[in-house]
Amino acid sequence: MASAAAPRPTGPGERPNVPSANNRFPAVRDYEQVDREVIETLQPSFGWFAALATAIFCLLIGISTWIYQIHEGLGAAGYQPPVMWGVYIITFVFWVGIGHAGTLISAILYLFRAGFRTSIYRVSEAMTVFAVMTAGLFPIIHIGRPWKFFWLIPYPNWRLLWPQFKSPLVWDVFAILTYFTISSTFLYVGLIPDLAVLRDKETNPIRKRIFAMLSLGWRNSDREWRHFMRAYLFMAALATPLVLSVHSVVSFDFAMALTPGWHATIFPPYFVAGAIFSGIGMVFTIVIPLRRFFRLQHYITLNDLDAAAKLCLFTSMVVGLAYLTEFQIAWMSGNKVEQDYFWNRVFGQWAWAAWIMLICNMVLPISLFSQRLRRNTTWLFILSIFINIGMWFERFVIVVPSLSHEFEPWQWGSYRPTWVDYGILLGSFGWFFMWFLLFIKQLPVVAIAEIKEILAPRMRSQHGGGSH
Amino acid sequence: MQGVVAAFHELDSAVHAVEELKKRKYGDVTVYTPTPRHEFEDVLGAPESPVRKFTLVGGLCGVTFGYWIAIWCSKYWPLVVGGKAVASWVPYTIFGFEVMVLIGALSTVIGMFANSRIPRLTMTVGYDPRFSGGHFGVWVETTPEQAEEVSALLRRHGAEEVRSER
Repeated sequence: MASAAAPRPTGPGERPNVPSANNRFPAVRDYEQVDREVIETLQPSFGWFAALATAIFCLLIGISTWIYQIHEGLGAAGYQPPVMWGVYIITFVFWVGIGHAGTLISAILYLFRAGFRTSIYRVSEAMTVFAVMTAGLFPIIHIGRPWKFFWLIPYPNWRLLWPQFKSPLVWDVFAILTYFTISSTFLYVGLIPDLAVLRDKETNPIRKRIFAMLSLGWRNSDREWRHFMRAYLFMAALATPLVLSVHSVVSFDFAMALTPGWHATIFPPYFVAGAIFSGIGMVFTIVIPLRRFFRLQHYITLNDLDAAAKLCLFTSMVVGLAYLTEFQIAWMSGNKVEQDYFWNRVFGQWAWAAWIMLICNMVLPISLFSQRLRRNTTWLFILSIFINIGMWFERFVIVVPSLSHEFEPWQWGSYRPTWVDYGILLGSFGWFFMWFLLFIKQLPVVAIAEIKEILAPRMRSQHGGGSH
Repeated sequence: MQGVVAAFHELDSAVHAVEELKKRKYGDVTVYTPTPRHEFEDVLGAPESPVRKFTLVGGLCGVTFGYWIAIWCSKYWPLVVGGKAVASWVPYTIFGFEVMVLIGALSTVIGMFANSRIPRLTMTVGYDPRFSGGHFGVWVETTPEQAEEVSALLRRHGAEEVRSER
């Protein structure tokens, strides 16, 4: 199958790295092959069980650490004045950001009719849902008394108390809950036709019944497709501004505060670009091993990865521009506190973190200008790990240096995460990958119906059928 | 409901068959395709999907509710800070927008379900599991007298299998 992933010789005027109708899926012949090969990926393997066991083990570490923190109090997490936001808020922003690439690929690229999205959008969309599920845990962990979380939700209560609607934390609640609801609904709606395929091909009666219920009696009729296509389009159109708004709202958590390094109008676009960049990094981290272990190289082709790598390069440059603009704003503002803060960020106390961020997010992705490297899956995978690390440190650099270096020198302090922070961080990866691994063995990782839509249907005229 | 169902392996054969069925004005024709095919849209002459109306109404209700809940709660429990307005439309636009997207998208899904008539508890007559795989299906509602004639027409157009169902 690996040979099938190699680009086909192209005709005049066609570039090998630009997906077109002629070079999308050269090794996929007909609809039945799609059904067969995608359904084959649902067979559990030893490697999958081992990966799931590892994810659950990491999750258990996270759960036990959280229980310890609830018992001991938030002090166990390494918070100390003035740094009262730490790993949990960093990781919250990190996971929300990861989710954004999924919606970009599934909704925005759908509206733009970008062909390369077809093979990777299902995985990306599932990644979004699980990333938002993971992100949503962190504000709850961070508040220390998680059982009080519901106070943020506006509901009639005997205390006659309502949330403060001018607080960015309440904006977050609305934005994240809307984002989770819409992205999971979008994922499910897109899955309905594929669930019908699974229902029709399944031989195990229990699984068949489950798929029958989940597919809601979908029959692939012209009426169903007509309404489905319209609904899918409108959902994509609604999800597109949503994806831009959610990380803008997350950025307001910082930008609304009068804190050096935070109070800047550049934050919403800077956060959105960073979110998409980090999400594409995670897409590579997930998709590259997946296409290899599931032997899906002829669906998730090098052309698709190449196109996604270009998007990664573009968003890296936007993020890089935002980093440099922040320095320029501080320099030109004439504000001593702001200037000192940025000097401290790159040459002072937090230089190590800032340089990890700059190298991983600005310098290493420059390699993607090389087509050879964009089509090298090993390099893409290694780079994606660096991007994940770099983007986590970007949030570290935003959160910690600002709080540790505010206006008055007597306020300045430091921050060192404890084993509790690291345990819960590890647990979040366990939680995310547990859901993801369960997903990939129960449901198709590539969209069967959409792949078929690209394939040329069988025609009587091509098979020497007689006229009538 | 009685009719004839045919399974085609080739798209153009199915399109031509539907074209002739529509021309001869038999009963309702339903086409089953593994993936949406625009070739059938023109032939069937289906009207525009009304799902967009659900989206519009849902979105408008959502934006109204989003602004209303924030303004009403602020007035009900006033938190006066620095003499500023108790209800401020600028931050409340976030609630207006988020709830518009939420209710608009959920209404879209409800619109799709209602118009597609799903969830369906039992598979109706005329469906074959092959239609989600690689075959194109054509279901025609007929009277018992027409069934033979319609079956012949479908076979002539290259149907792989034709059967009457009720």
